[in-house]
Amino acid sequence: MSGYVRALDLVTRVRGVRGAMLVSATDGLVVAEQLMEGIKGPAVAALAGSLANRLSRAMAAGGIGAALFWHLQCTEGALLVVPAPSGVLIVAVAETEVNVGLVRLELLRAAELVG
Amino acid sequence: MAEDVKSLSAQLAQDPTSLVFLRLGELLRHKGQLDAAHRVALSGLERHPHLADAHDLYARILADKRDFERAFDEWDMTLRIAPTHVGALKGLAFLYFKVGDVEQAAAHLEAAQRHSPSDPTIAQAVAMVQGGDAGAAAAGLGFESAAVPAAPAPPSSAAPAPTPPPAPAASSGPLDEQRVFAGLEGAQEGLLLLDGSGQVLGGALRDGSGNDVTAPVAAYLAGVSQEAARTAKLVGLGTWTGLAAEGVSGHVHLAQPSAQTLLLIIRDRAVPMGRLAIIAQRAAQVAARWLERQA
Amino acid sequence: MTTRAVETWTLDPLKQFVGEAAARLVLLMTPAGQVLAQHGFARALDVMSAAALSSAIVASTTEIARQLGEPPFAALTHQGERHGIFLANAPTHQGMVVVLVVYDLDVSSIGLVQLFFEQLRTELHAASPKTGVPKQVLAADFERQLSDSLDTLFGR
Repeated sequence: MSGYVRALDLVTRVRGVRGAMLVSATDGLVVAEQLMEGIKGPAVAALAGSLANRLSRAMAAGGIGAALFWHLQCTEGALLVVPAPSGVLIVAVAETEVNVGLVRLELLRAAELVG
Repeated sequence: MAEDVKSLSAQLAQDPTSLVFLRLGELLRHKGQLDAAHRVALSGLERHPHLADAHDLYARILADKRDFERAFDEWDMTLRIAPTHVGALKGLAFLYFKVGDVEQAAAHLEAAQRHSPSDPTIAQAVAMVQGGDAGAAAAGLGFESAAVPAAPAPPSSAAPAPTPPPAPAASSGPLDEQRVFAGLEGAQEGLLLLDGSGQVLGGALRDGSGNDVTAPVAAYLAGVSQEAARTAKLVGLGTWTGLAAEGVSGHVHLAQPSAQTLLLIIRDRAVPMGRLAIIAQRAAQVAARWLERQA
Repeated sequence: MTTRAVETWTLDPLKQFVGEAAARLVLLMTPAGQVLAQHGFARALDVMSAAALSSAIVASTTEIARQLGEPPFAALTHQGERHGIFLANAPTHQGMVVVLVVYDLDVSSIGLVQLFFEQLRTELHAASPKTGVPKQVLAADFERQLSDSLDTLFGR
C-alpha cells in the first residue's frame, strides 16, 4: 500500500492536478485514491476504465498497439491516464491549464512504482 | 553564382553559428539543390531554433520538396515567433491556395500587405487571387512548386458558387478522401472523418502493413466518442474537446469538427503528440469547412 | 432486447439503467421472487429461474448476515469468464426491490454497474408510488399472478 501512496504522491504534487487514482482497468473499481473535494472517485474509476478499454480496442484495430498514455481534453478540465503493466490504470484529474508533459512523466513514474 | 555558393559555404565553415546559412540555404534552394539546402537549413535551425527567418527558410525548402504539411508547421512556428513575418504569411497563403481555400489565402496575403505595403508581389498576388488565377499568384510569390490548382472563384451574388458534389451515402462504396482532406498529407492513410453513427464521411486508415483498417476503427470510434462525452459530463469536466493517445506503434488524436462528426488522425511515433494536435486542428478546420459546404 | 414491466413505475428507471450500465439482463423483483420488471430475457422459464434463484441467494445471504450480527448485505457480485452478475437491494415506497444484473465483461464492468446502480436506486425510490399497500401474494393466487406477470413481461 505504501507503494501506492508514493505513486499517487508523485502525480498529485504536480500543480494543476486535482486528484490521482489507481483504478482496476477491467473492473473499473478504485484501488487507491487521493482526490480533492468534489471529485467523484467511483465515477472517475468506472468511466476511465470503460474509456480505456474502448480506446484500446480502437487503437488495436488501427494497428497502433497498446496505449501508453492518453489525455482526454475537456472544456473544464482533463483526464490523463497511463496503464501500468499489472492492469492498473494511473489516472490524474486535472485543470485545463495543467502541464501535460509533466503529468505524463509523473504518471509514467507512478506506473513503474505500481508495477 | 557558383562562386557565391562556395564563398558562403566557406564563411559558414569558418563560423558555423553565423547567420550566413540563411543566404546559403536560399541560394541552394533557388538553384534547385534542395537536399543541400535542407541540410544547411536544418543545421542552422539547430543553432538558432528561435530565429523566425530560419523556420521560414526551412518551410520554403519543405514546400519546394512538396512536404506541405511540415511546411505548414514551420510557417506556423515562424508566425508564433514573429507574428508579422511576411515570408510566413506569404507561405501560408500559398498553402491555402493549394487546398483551394481562397478566403484564408486572401486573408494571409492582406495581412502580409499590411506589414509590407511596398512589396509589389503581394499586391499582384492579391489581385490574381481575387481574379481567380491562383497559379500565377503562387508563382508571383516566388514559390516554384508547379501545378498549383486554380482557386475557385469566390462566391458572388451574381453567379452562384460551384456546388460541390453531395456527400456520398455510407453504402455507396469507397469515398474520395480528396474531397474532404484535399491538400492535407496523409489523407489516404492517416485521416478519418465519421458522422455521429460511425459512418465514414471521408479519409481512410491503413495500418503499418498497409491493410485498410477504416471499417473496424470506425466501428469502435463511435463508442469511444460516446464514452468520452459521458466521462466528461459525469466527472464534471464539461464537454470533451479532444482525445490524444500515445500507442506502442503510433500516436492518435480524436477531435470533433462539429457536434455530429468525429475526426481521427493517426501518425507514427516520429510525429510528436503536440505536433499531431496542430495537424488535428487544421484537419478539423478543413473538415468543418467541407461539412459546411455539404449542408 | 426488450424492457417490460409489470409495475410500470419501474420502467423508466430500468431503461435508463440498462442504457448507462450496458447491462445484458436485468430483473427487478420482490424479495419473495415476484417479478416487477425485466430487460433482455428471451424466455419466461429463464425469468422464473432467475427470480427464484436470486431470491434464494438473497435469503441465504441475509441469514448469514443475521448470524454474523450484520444488517443484510447491500450487494453481491460474482465474476465469470465472460459475464458478471450483480445482485443488490433498492428500497422503495412499495417495499424492497431486489435487482439482478448480468453484464458482459467485454462491454461493461462492475464499476459501471455499481456506479449507475446508485442512480437506479434513487430513481426507483423517487418513482415508486407512495400510496397503496403492496399486495400480499397468496398461495392460491400465486400461479395465476405469475402467469399474468409473465404475459406482461413478454408482451403476450
